[in-house]
Amino acid sequence: MAERAALPRVVARLLARALPYALAVAAAFAAAGVFLAALGFDVGRAYATILLTSFRTPFSFAQTLVKFAPLLLQALAFTLPLTARKFNIGGEGQLIVGAIGAAAVGIALADLHAAFLLPAAVAAGILFGALWAALPAWLLYRFGINEILTTVLMNFVSFGLIDYVATEIWPDRAAGHPTTVAVGAGAWMPLLVVRPPVHAGVLLALGAAVLVHFYVRRTVGGYELVATGANPRAASVYGIAVRRVFLSSLVLGGALAGLSGAIEVSGVHHRLIEGMQSNFLLLGIIVGLIAKGNNAAVPFVAFFIAVLDVGASALQRTMGVPVEIGFIVQALVLIFVLLSDVVRRR
Amino acid sequence: MDGGFVLFARLVMLTLVPYVLAAQGTMLGGRTGVFNVAQEGIMLVGASVGFLVAYAWGSIGYGLALAALTGALFGLVLASFTTTLRLNQFVVGLALFFIGVALSTLLYKLTIGVTLTPPRIPTLPEIHLPGLGDIPVLGPILFRQNVLVYAAVVLSLLFWYGLYRTRLGQNLRAVGENPMAADSLGVNVALMRYATTILGAALMGLAGAYLPMVFTGTFTEGMVRGRGWLAIVLTFFGGWRPDWILAGSLFFAAVEVLSFRVQVTGVGIAYQFVLMLPYVATIFVMVFAFQRVRAPAALGQNYDRESRTMA
Repeated sequence: MAERAALPRVVARLLARALPYALAVAAAFAAAGVFLAALGFDVGRAYATILLTSFRTPFSFAQTLVKFAPLLLQALAFTLPLTARKFNIGGEGQLIVGAIGAAAVGIALADLHAAFLLPAAVAAGILFGALWAALPAWLLYRFGINEILTTVLMNFVSFGLIDYVATEIWPDRAAGHPTTVAVGAGAWMPLLVVRPPVHAGVLLALGAAVLVHFYVRRTVGGYELVATGANPRAASVYGIAVRRVFLSSLVLGGALAGLSGAIEVSGVHHRLIEGMQSNFLLLGIIVGLIAKGNNAAVPFVAFFIAVLDVGASALQRTMGVPVEIGFIVQALVLIFVLLSDVVRRR
Repeated sequence: MDGGFVLFARLVMLTLVPYVLAAQGTMLGGRTGVFNVAQEGIMLVGASVGFLVAYAWGSIGYGLALAALTGALFGLVLASFTTTLRLNQFVVGLALFFIGVALSTLLYKLTIGVTLTPPRIPTLPEIHLPGLGDIPVLGPILFRQNVLVYAAVVLSLLFWYGLYRTRLGQNLRAVGENPMAADSLGVNVALMRYATTILGAALMGLAGAYLPMVFTGTFTEGMVRGRGWLAIVLTFFGGWRPDWILAGSLFFAAVEVLSFRVQVTGVGIAYQFVLMLPYVATIFVMVFAFQRVRAPAALGQNYDRESRTMA
């Protein structure tokens, strides 16, 4: 009897949680619609394109999944430290350096069997990403230096680094753009679906999301993370080494971003390309903020943002609306989600 | 003192402006406790709006004015979301950063579209101050510059005077140190926070508009290249003081000019590492700045008058 009554309550709670999101999305689309209409675009067609493209053909759905993987990891790289109220704005650089690590292994050990090469390349990506985040984390630990600034500055350093590796260390002379030669075939991520191609990195990203959720909710380290984020002073009084929690949260965030870089190399490009990071960092931050740092919500929000992103690209191709309109919609969703907090507090 | 030095110093003065404007804007909001982290986004929007207006109307003046106004709008949003609605300053700031980045490219694409040869605008003219401009060495360095170089220096001095020598400045600093105490003394905390945040963000918009109007004559995606983030570091480096920020931006500008010149002339280092120089140097700077400097005590904290607490 009691259990039967509990189920609707869970549903009701979920609905109550989802309602502000639904309203925020609706409001964002309404606002973007006014904007598009003012510019003379067919709003109905634009909405249909932006929301439905991902589900129309197997190819575009595959495209959405392939975009979803790095996006999810970038968002986790942002939200895991955010749980301890630390801001990792360095996901872009950590992705690049992780990609460099994976490519370095994939190129230098190209002849190795896939059973060894792929795990080694992925591990190198994770390790490099973690190391890249370790410097800002250490500066925070040792000197109390604001991590927002150091992590973001490291991004700009990484841009030079990827360009250097691509043009000076393993350059592909035939390519017009700074690009390395391809990694060994053993470092290629196996495909889950061959046509249209969906690589196994999608599963890795989902697995990472589950691990992060488990870590935060079910382990001592995760408990310390949450306690520190809720109230650092109280956590410190209760014997949690707050600064060490900050350090480890940022390094773990870097590891997740590094994994996204490895997936981009071994799953998508099979080489290192200058500028391969595109907008994953910004999208990751926006996913993390919309999910309000809740790791369990991140995969769903990330999928929604991937859908919008693929839809926005289609919109640019078919109707000539600049792809940035997708970012504006995402930003508006975020603004309205933030505002819904205020409404609830009243 | 050969011609090489004069040229270098002239370039440093020229490069100084976006740093000074963005950092003084950061300082201003921070002095009342509002920590803006959207500089990079606001500067990009400023660059885009400033460029587009100057291109469409053929007037750099209008471009600068509208870039400042756009920045002010971002400041208004930041102020109302944090001061009135009491949302987390970093979260709102990051959201505005994202919107700025997206909006800058969107506006450019909607107005100009994709072209083979990017449209150009004329750059800010040099103003030769009569008499002073003819002084050897100092003349060309200090008194033959564009109007914003003068404005940046004058503004910094004004801010210094206002902050430390006037009643208003004293109240303003009090809000950033202890809003509760300032409130009980009859200072309007919300008004102070709104005013400084909006004015500060307007300066960031100007700082962004300076880039196409002086350096390139064109707008390119992401052209701020981290200067917004560097401006935050510069604010810490300058100890949240207008005078020190002006001095500190000399250093930041010198590093930027140096990295550019080394890249052109080449010194046997791969140019990619030279390009990293400003960011690496900045990280080193932070190690010293953050040890030495005390930021306003209420920085990043919202003030809730009813509950008389900070959150």
